[in-house]
Amino acid sequence: MKLVAVTACPTGIAHTYMAAEQLEKTAKKHGHTIKVETQGAMGIENELSQGEIDGAELAIFAVGIPVRNMERFAKIKIVEVAVQDAIKNPESIFSKIG
Amino acid sequence: MAKPVDQMKRYLLTGVSYAIPFVACGGIMIAIAIAFVPMTSTGPDFSDSPFLKLILDIGSAAFSFLVPVLGGYIAFGIADRPGLVAGFVGGYIANQVGAGFLGGLVAGLLAGFVVLSIKKIKLPPYLRPVMPILVIPVISSLIVGFVMYRVIGAPIKDLMTFLSDWLRSMGTGNSVLLALILGAMISFDMGGPVNKVAFFFGAAMIKEGNFAVMGACAAAICIPPIGLGLATLLGRNLWSDEEREAGYAGLAMGMIGITEGAIPFAAADPVRVIPTIMVGSMIGAVIAMLGGVGDHAPHGGPIVLPVIDNRLSYVIAILVGSVTVAVVINTLKKLSRTKGKEATA
Repeated sequence: MKLVAVTACPTGIAHTYMAAEQLEKTAKKHGHTIKVETQGAMGIENELSQGEIDGAELAIFAVGIPVRNMERFAKIKIVEVAVQDAIKNPESIFSKIG
Repeated sequence: MAKPVDQMKRYLLTGVSYAIPFVACGGIMIAIAIAFVPMTSTGPDFSDSPFLKLILDIGSAAFSFLVPVLGGYIAFGIADRPGLVAGFVGGYIANQVGAGFLGGLVAGLLAGFVVLSIKKIKLPPYLRPVMPILVIPVISSLIVGFVMYRVIGAPIKDLMTFLSDWLRSMGTGNSVLLALILGAMISFDMGGPVNKVAFFFGAAMIKEGNFAVMGACAAAICIPPIGLGLATLLGRNLWSDEEREAGYAGLAMGMIGITEGAIPFAAADPVRVIPTIMVGSMIGAVIAMLGGVGDHAPHGGPIVLPVIDNRLSYVIAILVGSVTVAVVINTLKKLSRTKGKEATA
């Protein structure tokens, strides 16, 4: 499956990036392709284009704060989880989405 | 990739879009407060209206964020979140050293590009967490702060002294030339150092019994915000919703003589807006001077009418100057729009 994801935590210096790493690793393990945008203290990095979002089947939000530029995700199905879940238990997210 | 000029404009607009609510909110409160107290020869008199004074103070507080927010969000537009600190600090210092909104623009752009270049330095992963909240804000604020205090702030005092000596040496002999210069100075940086010099010169002449100099200034002061506000009413499709809101606030601020109401427009499009409002204010100042307008209060705009000599000339000066600004800026906007269409076609 083609996935996109956004990670963002309030401080944006560690958990945002740890969650992104876990999502990438676990997605690969399950045979999905994923691109993860991080909205941390450095601002938006690895930004998702509208085309990438439209080309994906599902968006995963591992966030503790509102997602910036939310309008990009108007047409896609979104699964929202806590940042902590993505770090500690990424498997459960992927088992849910199959 | 957009052209550098368009890119620059987008950065400035990011700053302006966050600054507009502060200007509008503060400006309206200041306008209401000043509008309801008596205008005297020492300016608006708040001694009998503690509640209006409170509104004035709250409005002034909101208004004082204008330049810092402008600087902060211009930097944010360029460098995203890590740019905020240096941009706000630079904008705050611009206020402190009296550099006005042009100082805020410089601070924001400088902060943004400094942070952007620090962000480009590749670091090992274990160092990355300390960059955005410690290293980048500290280093970029030091650089921007140093430039704002030492490189930009210090010469501003000299510039102001130089300009006011120059105005004094000109005297009031050639009154039309003086009006032209004062009009241009008032509009050039809207509340910044150049504007202040012209204003203080006018205010000082009142004490010497010459009311004509302040009369010319008083007309020039309100023409930029009124003219631009008028422009948003006349050419509604030329302006964004946000700019039209700023237009209403500009009209209100113009009525009570706050030139700063024009800043959102000037900051978004300095190259077109600043020369236009300078011309408008110069025309208004000359008409006021020739019409024998005298202003007995160190304040401008229609609000000072009670203490004006030759009121009709004063009103005509403001109207002609404002209409000039509105027509010229809307024409310039139309021209650039058709040119833009040809370029993309």
